[in-house]
Amino acid sequence: MATTTASMTLSSSDILSQAISLSTTATLYKGGTTATGLEQMNYHRAIIPTGTNFDLIAESDALKDNSNYVYIVNKNTDVTHYVTISINQEVIGSLYAGDWLFMPWSCDLSAAANDSSIEIEAFTAANTIEYALFHVGETLPTQSDS
Amino acid sequence: MATTTATISLSSGDIADNRLLLSNTATLTNAGNDTGMTKTTGLTRVELASTSPVTLIDAGATTRLNTIAKGKIYIKNLNDRGDGTKFVTLEMHGHEIGRLYGGDWAFFPFDGGADNDILLDPFDATATTLEYIIFYEAS
Repeated sequence: MATTTASMTLSSSDILSQAISLSTTATLYKGGTTATGLEQMNYHRAIIPTGTNFDLIAESDALKDNSNYVYIVNKNTDVTHYVTISINQEVIGSLYAGDWLFMPWSCDLSAAANDSSIEIEAFTAANTIEYALFHVGETLPTQSDS
Repeated sequence: MATTTATISLSSGDIADNRLLLSNTATLTNAGNDTGMTKTTGLTRVELASTSPVTLIDAGATTRLNTIAKGKIYIKNLNDRGDGTKFVTLEMHGHEIGRLYGGDWAFFPFDGGADNDILLDPFDATATTLEYIIFYEAS
């Protein structure tokens, strides 16, 4: 097993009358285990063109019914550029230039095809994003060379 | 405006041959400009003790002084991991996003408005304590 940690710090000195400084760390374990770390990850960088809602992370049998964790960051710098992140064409939220998200992801194959895939669509301009998936398994395509 | 930052660090010494260290800092701004978000729920602690789904965030206008246009939420399951089978499912638009096991946290953007509520669905009736904070832009 591997030991991977996800840490976060939220801070603000002026959104409230008292400063906020909140820190947390989680270790990324396999679901249903007490301390078995996730052993597999993918890390990508992609340029997302406008006009199409793409499957960024497709559901698959190897990913189903367990704990996966997704990190996505929008590397654009123009504050009007953004991508929407959605599941089953329902928008979760928008990542503007510089924004990131980190969330658990359940791959659910029980309903319609691709209903739990994580989708992305770019707006205003092409957006460069980086994303990491810490996961329980990957279904590699069988080679089809003739 | 206010200046609020969120910094993430993903680190592993053994998930790959070379050490993994991903780090980024985002400044929480309103949509499409660089004005810092000025509204927050403040840090809130809740305890769930049933298996019924509950609405954590009513993204419509019914329970807030301000209507949320865009928000960012941090949420953490404060329970111990226990036997590894207890979790709270995060749901949005009727879809399961993912499971927060004991000790897990998440930070993600969301849209306000009707039908954009964020729900929590506990796996069992064991008391589950969570804390969350929302930063948002009013519409």
